Amino acid sequence: MALLEVENLKVVFPTDEGEVEAVNEISFTLDYGEVLAVVGESGSGKSVSAMAIMRLLPKTARVTGRVEFDGKSLLELPMKHMRRIMGNDIAMIFQDPMTALNPVFKVGEQIAEIIENHRDVSKRQAGTRAVELLELVGIPEPSRRAQQYPHEFSGGMRQRAMIAMAIANDPKLLIADEPTTALDVTIQAQVMEAIKTAQEATGAAMMLITHDLGLVAGVAQRVQVMYGGRVFESAPIDSIFYDNRNPYTRGLLNALPRLDARTHAKLYTIPGSPPDLLRLPPGCAFSPRCEFVTDECRRSIPDFAEVEPGHVTRCHNWESLPELARAGV
Amino acid sequence: MTDVATPRVSETAAVLIEAEAITTEAKSWSRQTWERLLHHKLAVVAAFILVFLTISFWVVPALSPYSFDQVGAGVPRQAPSAKHWFGTDQIGRDLMTRVFTGGQFSIRIAALVAITTTVIGAVIGAISGFFGGWIDATLSWVTNMVLVIPALVILLVLALRFGSGPWAIAFIIAALSWPRISRIVRGLFLSYKEQDFVHAARAAGARPGRIMFRHILPNTFGPIMVETTLNVGAAIIIESTLSFLSLGVQPPVPTLGNLMNEAKGAIDSRAYELLFPGGIVTMISLCVNFLGDGLRDALDPTSRRTR
Amino acid sequence: MLIYAVRRIIAAIPLILAATSIVFVLTSLGGDPVAARLATCTTCDPSAYQRLIDLYDLDKPVYPQRYMGWLTDFASGDLGVALTQGERPVKDIMLERGKNTFLIAVPAFIVIAIGAIIFGVYSAVRQYSVGDYVITGASFIGISMPTFFFGLLLQFFVVFTLQKTGWKFFYTSGLRLEGFVEYVKSATLPIITLVLVSLAGESRFQRAATLEVINSDYIRTARAKGLPERTVIFKHALRNALIPLVTVWALDFAGLLSGAVITETIFAWPGLGRELINAIFAQDLDLMMAVTVFAIFLTVSFNLIADLIYGVLDPRIRFD
Repeated sequence: MALLEVENLKVVFPTDEGEVEAVNEISFTLDYGEVLAVVGESGSGKSVSAMAIMRLLPKTARVTGRVEFDGKSLLELPMKHMRRIMGNDIAMIFQDPMTALNPVFKVGEQIAEIIENHRDVSKRQAGTRAVELLELVGIPEPSRRAQQYPHEFSGGMRQRAMIAMAIANDPKLLIADEPTTALDVTIQAQVMEAIKTAQEATGAAMMLITHDLGLVAGVAQRVQVMYGGRVFESAPIDSIFYDNRNPYTRGLLNALPRLDARTHAKLYTIPGSPPDLLRLPPGCAFSPRCEFVTDECRRSIPDFAEVEPGHVTRCHNWESLPELARAGV
Repeated sequence: MTDVATPRVSETAAVLIEAEAITTEAKSWSRQTWERLLHHKLAVVAAFILVFLTISFWVVPALSPYSFDQVGAGVPRQAPSAKHWFGTDQIGRDLMTRVFTGGQFSIRIAALVAITTTVIGAVIGAISGFFGGWIDATLSWVTNMVLVIPALVILLVLALRFGSGPWAIAFIIAALSWPRISRIVRGLFLSYKEQDFVHAARAAGARPGRIMFRHILPNTFGPIMVETTLNVGAAIIIESTLSFLSLGVQPPVPTLGNLMNEAKGAIDSRAYELLFPGGIVTMISLCVNFLGDGLRDALDPTSRRTR
Repeated sequence: MLIYAVRRIIAAIPLILAATSIVFVLTSLGGDPVAARLATCTTCDPSAYQRLIDLYDLDKPVYPQRYMGWLTDFASGDLGVALTQGERPVKDIMLERGKNTFLIAVPAFIVIAIGAIIFGVYSAVRQYSVGDYVITGASFIGISMPTFFFGLLLQFFVVFTLQKTGWKFFYTSGLRLEGFVEYVKSATLPIITLVLVSLAGESRFQRAATLEVINSDYIRTARAKGLPERTVIFKHALRNALIPLVTVWALDFAGLLSGAVITETIFAWPGLGRELINAIFAQDLDLMMAVTVFAIFLTVSFNLIADLIYGVLDPRIRFD
């Protein structure tokens, strides 16, 4: 049995200009200990779907579908029971470590709080555990650091503290929402390494949400590419890198800077801008930006096609994509 | 106004697709927009009432069969009736005519105060923020000092010494109200003077005066307008308070404050004498506050901070 | 922090000197205390006249000589005498009136401070609920209504109920100190008036501050920890939302303690505010200066205290 099963998850925000379908009928499963990368530009619905699973969306958002976690149906649980899971069985690492920690409490206290909230421990035990956790995520002088406030930490250190907080109760599932986006490029790799270590130490499954496919290599087993609120391609990581069957996935890959590229080569960018969810085109959401677009793409939304077991894509031209790409180059 | 408030489609989309923003901002984001609209409805209604009241301050006395200082227009101390809608005062003057004429004087003083305050505050704030350094330090110090002195003491002392004329009262109130707007304008100038378009103007050889007035000032117009609006409300209240203490514009000029001052002895028997002018002062001030609040939201929907 | 406080105090001295100078010059421009005195005194002889001139240095220029004379006396603890009250020492009057003001200022402040938190937080947490609209609407009206009008309405209400029911719940003027019940009956209306003036503004301020906090990332983090909503609001949110309120509280409290002119006048409450306005009308210079200096001093010192508390509450603030 899978740890997390998401079925037809849909998130709608009512606005005075119409309803916005931020997440449109996405389904996926996550096994115990598995790492799934959810990749897409901003507005693809990747963060919103994570928030929906965590029940952190505002009340105005309409969430439908089914989320089964460890035998419990999360969307139907009363908040009181949900809170026993939040921070305990499912923990989150947020994007901006500069604002995600409460500025008026000491870092150690904030980590101890999540332990006290879910475990029957004394304040002192929780404090000791907090220091151990800080050490685990690679913070030097952890006992001194635990007594400091968030503003005394650097961005990378704060994110490490967030990681320590997330793994404090040995969660079964970690959701990391763009954990390195707000950090300096120089420390992104270190923090990613710390996340990986923490995930491996706890054996938790992980949903790694990012817009950077480059970050995913070596961490995730499976990748789910999202665009305009829908899943565009879902496949094992190797297939994504070497046999992807979706022009959007291709675009994301091509947009990565490469060490072996000629120095004068211009970095590829996907033309156009992310879609306006209020005004999605009638056909494939990516069609206005797609270099292989056909009339069919503009007319109808493609269904999932199975490329091979475990690899699905949402593209009318997935079969001919490799030839088209070769011809295009 | 309302069209300024409703974000254009692309902006909405931009807000929406900022997925990170959705989780926090969108907490009430659609409703926030809705509330903004409601706020604007209130502001629009408030503006209507204000215009209506202001016109009536001139029209009602003109149509009234009595003049505001006509002693014995009716039997003294009459309750509201068909002949005297607001009743009469103790020497038989028609209160409706007096209240609306009073509104005329009060609104003129308030407008005068608001404009004077804005000009003084904006100029000091602009100079302070634009030039910085010792000029800023000195002016900020002066601003602090004015804020520290109990305003009412100065108001009373000055009103006692120079007061009575509408102009004098207006200047006295303005002389004590400018620090607020000055601080706001100073802050705006501080941030604008570091922006690229100002650097560009400077590089093109524009003189400081030109940069201040042609390049930066137009950008500060919105917040200044909001403050000016709110100042009208504050001025109406301050004027009526001064008059209530017998230190405002002197009778026989009937300002709303004077009328309330005349009525304060009669609350046990003839409360209506107080309620009509007091209600109108509150109504004007309320409408001005709604309008100012709506304007602020319309001009800057992102910053929802209130005072 | 101590060094910071000392530096701030030193920096405040010129500010206070300048502010008192301005007030002194303006009050002296306000009129001639001797003429005012003679107008109310039919039996005064020329020697008394000369004594007044000496007392106020009236033969010298207002600034700086007369100011310096006043300042020297004031600094040495001699606050002067109140001419219009049989030359009673100003110090005595200040103590007595200050105590009376204290009797309404402190209860009013407690209600304001607690009320602002309750209304502001409720409004923010239940944003767009009926309760929020009621509170927001009421604060708008509170901000828009002149204090004296509200005070008069309260009096009218009491008179009205007296006429209808024959009961007089509260006194509409004066201070009664014959027992606690009498005090409550006489102090309630002035306290309600004082509360209205500040509570409306402070609730709106607290609402805005709380809204900003509960929409912040760290509140989302707190929720993601699975903390009960109680803890999220009252520990994580309130602790942050209270910080900006401290300054507002301090300035309001300073204002209340230095005497509310309008409220005390309407309810004939013998506090500092009413004393001040009487002194201004009567041209009683020493008394007027003493109340004003007290107000300036309170504002400056409470501002400093607020900044120090601010620094304690917010670990990001450093005093250097």
